[in-house]
Amino acid sequence: MGAFDFLLQGLATASEPMMLLYALIGVTLGTAVGVLPGIGPALTVALLLPVTYRLDPAGSLIMFAGIYYGGMYGGSTTSILLNTPGESASIITALEGNKMARKGRGGPALATAAIGSFVAGLIATLMLAFLAPWIVKVALVFGPREYFALMVLAFVTVSAAFGDSALRGLTSLFIGLALACIGIDQLSGQARLAFGVPELLDGIEVTTMAVAMFAVGEVLYVAGKSGQEDDKVEAVKGSVWMNRQDWARSWKPWLRGTAIGFPIGAMPAGGAEIGTFLSYATEKKLSKHPEEFGEGAIEGVAGPEAANNASAAGTLVPLLTLGLPTTATAAIMLAGFQQFGLQPGPLLFATNPTLVWGLIASLLIANAMLLVLNLPLIGLWVKLLTIPRPWLYAGILLFATLGTIGANPSTFELGMLLAFGVVGYVMRLYGYPIAPLVVGLILGPMAEQQLRRALSISQGDWFTLVQSPVAAVLLLIALLALVVPLIMRARGKGQVLSQLAADED
Amino acid sequence: MKRFVLAGLFASAMAVPAFADYTIIAPANPGGGWDQTARTMQTVMQEDGISGSVQVQNVPGAGGTIGLAQFASQNKGNADALIVGGYVMVGAILTNNSPVSLADVTPIARLTGEYEAIVVPAASEIQDMQGLVAALKENPGAVSWAGGSAGGTDHIAVGMIAKAAGVDPTTINYIAYSGGGEALAAILGNQVTAGVSSLGEFQPQIEAGTLRLLAVSSPERLEGVDAPTLKEAGLDIDLQNWRMVAAGPDLSDEQKAKIQADIETMVKSENWQKQLADKGWMDTYLSGAEFDAQLAEDTAATEAILKEIGLVK
Amino acid sequence: MSTGDQQHARRHPVAALIIAAGLAALAGVMLWDSARLADMGGYSGVGPASVPRVVAFCILGLSIWTVIEGFRGDFRHPEHQRVSPVLWVIGGLAAQLLLLHPAGFSIATGFLFAMVARAFGKRNLAMTLPIGIALSFVVWVIFSQLLMLHLPAGPLERLFFPGG
Repeated sequence: MGAFDFLLQGLATASEPMMLLYALIGVTLGTAVGVLPGIGPALTVALLLPVTYRLDPAGSLIMFAGIYYGGMYGGSTTSILLNTPGESASIITALEGNKMARKGRGGPALATAAIGSFVAGLIATLMLAFLAPWIVKVALVFGPREYFALMVLAFVTVSAAFGDSALRGLTSLFIGLALACIGIDQLSGQARLAFGVPELLDGIEVTTMAVAMFAVGEVLYVAGKSGQEDDKVEAVKGSVWMNRQDWARSWKPWLRGTAIGFPIGAMPAGGAEIGTFLSYATEKKLSKHPEEFGEGAIEGVAGPEAANNASAAGTLVPLLTLGLPTTATAAIMLAGFQQFGLQPGPLLFATNPTLVWGLIASLLIANAMLLVLNLPLIGLWVKLLTIPRPWLYAGILLFATLGTIGANPSTFELGMLLAFGVVGYVMRLYGYPIAPLVVGLILGPMAEQQLRRALSISQGDWFTLVQSPVAAVLLLIALLALVVPLIMRARGKGQVLSQLAADED
Repeated sequence: MKRFVLAGLFASAMAVPAFADYTIIAPANPGGGWDQTARTMQTVMQEDGISGSVQVQNVPGAGGTIGLAQFASQNKGNADALIVGGYVMVGAILTNNSPVSLADVTPIARLTGEYEAIVVPAASEIQDMQGLVAALKENPGAVSWAGGSAGGTDHIAVGMIAKAAGVDPTTINYIAYSGGGEALAAILGNQVTAGVSSLGEFQPQIEAGTLRLLAVSSPERLEGVDAPTLKEAGLDIDLQNWRMVAAGPDLSDEQKAKIQADIETMVKSENWQKQLADKGWMDTYLSGAEFDAQLAEDTAATEAILKEIGLVK
Repeated sequence: MSTGDQQHARRHPVAALIIAAGLAALAGVMLWDSARLADMGGYSGVGPASVPRVVAFCILGLSIWTVIEGFRGDFRHPEHQRVSPVLWVIGGLAAQLLLLHPAGFSIATGFLFAMVARAFGKRNLAMTLPIGIALSFVVWVIFSQLLMLHLPAGPLERLFFPGG
């Protein structure tokens, strides 16, 4: 039971009052910066890492863990309340979360996000502690073709978020894919659709796009409608707290979200967003209330938020077991570990057990601290929505632009924010869904690169895509997800499907 | 002691610091080598009192050329602004047809460097560099190389290896990955034939026996590294992925001298040396005319090889 | 179609035609750009131009589909929108963009704040502008001085935190 002893020892150190205070400071700082739209966990950790340098290793580690989880969690609050995703992994949260907030159910939405993040963080951190060496072996099986198959599956399943009109959903998706082509092609180094504009060489920043489409577009739309009756935002209706039904509808999505998010986070090219997409699609498929999706279904917040946090712990699997920094955040952490003369690598668990288990214990404590900080704040957060509308919307844009400026203070970036805000406005006017565009922008480049890598390795042989068992199975699932509903619909014009859904319970 | 640290933390957070004496531009996203170099400079300069307050700003994009262009246009004659860059920038300026080059700023010094390492997965049949070269000669398409972005140091290294081995550099099957981690995962997972990256990225895996180190790109054997140089393997290559610091254009000689002095103080400090040791970076400090000459030489060689790979017309 | 629905579902092919034209233009630009790219597919056979081409053809298809749906009455008049509040918000964002570097974060964002507030009915700029600037300044102090975020400084910021 060596591992367990180390963990208990780490937990004992991390529960000293002073350490708890460091954890609280870390969580608060991480949330404060991470909450800014456009500033993701990577920049949050990079900005705040120097703060930890001034402490002893144990204190530094725990504050750092707090900053990491705080930064990961921070984005969901603005997603839910202001329809302004803080980072790409909380875009999906905005879909249902903001609808809930508008119906006066912001409290339960924030609560299920916070508790879901805690549950996911807890389970995922324990999995990290005890299963990391095995999970990483599985993750390494994933090569370009397996990733490509995973992207295809994500594309197919995420169409659940496309709304009713296939034409509009697909149009939105393909505009996203078109925008994704902008910038230097990573595999050949050639500039595409940049027209000689240097700022376009790096492509369009997903967070800028998400903030523009969701926040700016929304403010414009609401401004245009102002004076009409039907768009009142109710700050609080019913309890701020989750009721029995909310709990009943949340706990399974938390667990499923964790199960989806953790392994995908552990994959070197997985990315937290894909976990949230798949979780959302799963919840919509399995829900007893599919009609509520798009109108504020609590499962659509609980699942993706859990997936998001579970993948944050998943990212640490390749980092701690292989020394592989698979995300920018992980790369910064690596730099953070190095200040203790620690080289993450395959031997880390063996050579530096005290530090590794100290970190894992710190993550557990920070995770709990995040809940302690955020639950009491929920009442305060939802009060935000009672601010009179002129101040509220002015504040939302102040906040949204603050994040964009903080991440990159260029007028070009602000110009894109404005231009895509107008695009988002026009799309809202004609009933085009926003989410598929952002999904296309995120998944498009990943799918393209993995496809081309796979084909390059196989020297142009397309059969390589189905020759690995993992890839073949993933593609088969994607095919079934695409074809089965079509057949069902064609046969019974939807009757079979709705009957099936009704029969499920 | 802890209370003291905490008090210090609060005091430093609360006492609003004076404006940055230096602003360092890291022309990359947080987490990369340039960002870490800039943030390490920030730490050392502040702690050693070389500069009262240093701010780091990330201007990511296009191999650093976006940050460089912005830096050059906004800091004419400004002696308080610095930019971090490196060898990758030299290639990126060429492949992106960047209108702004390193000639448009004032290069101050080369700070650190890393040599490239060529590895294969432990399970690979290839045992040494000669074996890899033989496979490459037999069928260049069947040898897939994983490394960093197209036109970057890793890509250039593969192009140089092919050329030195007498294989047409346009026929190499180079698979570009965005970050070191992703490329490393592909190598560990046996997805590709070989991998190229900075030695430091591979070192822990090599020590653990999961990767086999075939050669390094240094001119002489490196201490503590059990592998031949590319030269020993019969390929005449000497390639260093270096990082540098530059200042704004149109500086007076006094301004330039002051920055050079500050950087020299930083590089010679114990603190900097300790940070380099922690991070596994090599001190390859070089400044003044020697650095300018080295820079010109590297630029010319890089342009030649990029043309041969077909990335620059 | 019942008479009650008529107002709501009035055919509006003009909007559909404009959208379709926009999509076709986007596809055209992508095809033009990809024609310019060298074919560097290497061993994969799929080069940098391939994916933009496929996406462009799909967008062309969607453009045609949009026209068809437009004539079938799928595109309705959007809900009534008032133009001036929308313009105030756009103007606020534009003002912030233009003022950011010359005037600094607080003043630029103060203008944004006041103009957005005006779009939502707070018309008195003499009151909202100072409030906006003061609020933005507080935000600037918190994020740039305490949390070390790089936010552009202008005359106002330099007045209180000289030296930059």
